[in-house]
Amino acid sequence: MAEVVRFENVGLRYGLGPEVLHDITFGLEASSFHFLIGPSGAGKSSLLRLMYLAHRQTRGLISLFGRDVSTLPREQFPKIRRSIGVVFQDFRLLPHLSAFDNVALPLRVVGVRESEIRRHVEELLVWVALENHMDVRPPTMSGGQQQRVAIARAVIARPKILYADEPTGNVDDRIADRLMHLFEELNRLGTTVVIATHNEAIVQEFGWPVLKIDNGRLKIIPTDEPNPVNLTEVGEVID
Amino acid sequence: MFFRQSNLALEKDDTNQFLPWLIAFMVLLAALSVAGLLMLNQISSAFEHGIRDTMTIQIPAGQNSRADEIHVRKALTALKQVDGVLSSKHIASAEISDLLKPWLGETADSDGLPLPQIIDVEVDRSSDLSAEKLTELVAPIIPGTTVDNHSIWLTSLVDTLRSTELIATAVVLLITLATIGTVVFTTRTGMGIHRRTIEVWHFVGAQDEFIARQFALRAFIVGLQGGFVGILLAAPILYLFDFILENLEEGLLPKASLDVSIWISVGAIIPIIALIAMVTARSTVLKTLKKMV
Repeated sequence: MAEVVRFENVGLRYGLGPEVLHDITFGLEASSFHFLIGPSGAGKSSLLRLMYLAHRQTRGLISLFGRDVSTLPREQFPKIRRSIGVVFQDFRLLPHLSAFDNVALPLRVVGVRESEIRRHVEELLVWVALENHMDVRPPTMSGGQQQRVAIARAVIARPKILYADEPTGNVDDRIADRLMHLFEELNRLGTTVVIATHNEAIVQEFGWPVLKIDNGRLKIIPTDEPNPVNLTEVGEVID
Repeated sequence: MFFRQSNLALEKDDTNQFLPWLIAFMVLLAALSVAGLLMLNQISSAFEHGIRDTMTIQIPAGQNSRADEIHVRKALTALKQVDGVLSSKHIASAEISDLLKPWLGETADSDGLPLPQIIDVEVDRSSDLSAEKLTELVAPIIPGTTVDNHSIWLTSLVDTLRSTELIATAVVLLITLATIGTVVFTTRTGMGIHRRTIEVWHFVGAQDEFIARQFALRAFIVGLQGGFVGILLAAPILYLFDFILENLEEGLLPKASLDVSIWISVGAIIPIIALIAMVTARSTVLKTLKKMV
């Protein structure tokens, strides 16, 4: 299966600060599903930022969909970003727009017809159990509701890759389970999924391979390795 | 669709609260400058017309009014025979008195004041008729007659008016530059305020052009709002100015007024300023976005 993401010896530092990611090397095959785990401050968010093109690496090679992004002109970024859905830990919903309009954003930027936007967005909002909150603005929604809007926005355009940073952090177990099944459903349809999470129960329940990160270094734990979420072991760096 | 795309809530920014007023002030200044510029142009064109196409024949006062009448008739008859003279008109004594009133007061009406007889001559400038040539033709018939083509004092007056027009043009350009600077500053501030929103637009795959359109549309609307307010503020001032000019002493200056063409020019400032604001905001956003990942 072709790789949609490839990191080779990637390092990242912010400004003149210390390197926060060291020699990251891994690949994600199309239609794969991974959890990304690690303690706070380990570099999960930095790794995700590189993966969704919010930052450029300091060294090494990153390729997305077979294209080296370090040599890619800036004008090409929007096209690649449209193939990537991101669920931010802080949701990043636009507070002045309704839940409907927030979810519709990725479709509007590519000029999809309003009638189609309405159909798709309503369908998805029903799926995340927000059909009664379409016209509500994020500041008046609960954390869990905002998270579901953020997830709906990330998947509305059927991205080829979906990154979700703590997507189940603010929802109850029932909704968390439902969301995970939504991610699995998208994965079955061909979307490559990476879920950053602290939720050990979910990682163990779903049993997908794990990317462990600690102190800026990465280890890949395949599905057959026992107890992939024992975070105390994360410090034992495997090069 | 277009409204939704422009819905960045930019209108709620503090920068967008004062920008229409700032633009209104700029438009007020621009409207006054443009109107002044065009009226000066009317005046200098009238003066230039005087330089180019007219000469004045001055016949010394005769011993009595009968003598004056005979001199005038002789001069007018002679002028009809001259190639290059398109028309000639005797200026009545009462009219001359009126022209002199601003300088002489009621004395100008005095019968005892010996006034020369004046004939305005409209000449064809394509002919080779000069003031000297006309003098040579008329002076032998009525001794002491002089011909004035006004060129010496009118040329310097027109030059002065043209210089003033240049200054007014420079003022309009400075106002334009100040408007551009203001829009650049407020757009950058707005981008700072909406940085996280812009990041979200980027992450969902928006092109820079799409984001620039949001700011450009807002700048256009603010430009229109400011423009209308500016012209509303300028209108009474311009009417007052027009009223003063209308009631100016006859003869001091050629007639200048706020005609339709001036009002159209002043009104055109509104879309022009809105377009300037829109183009400036768009290019500012595009330049700033290029520095982002």
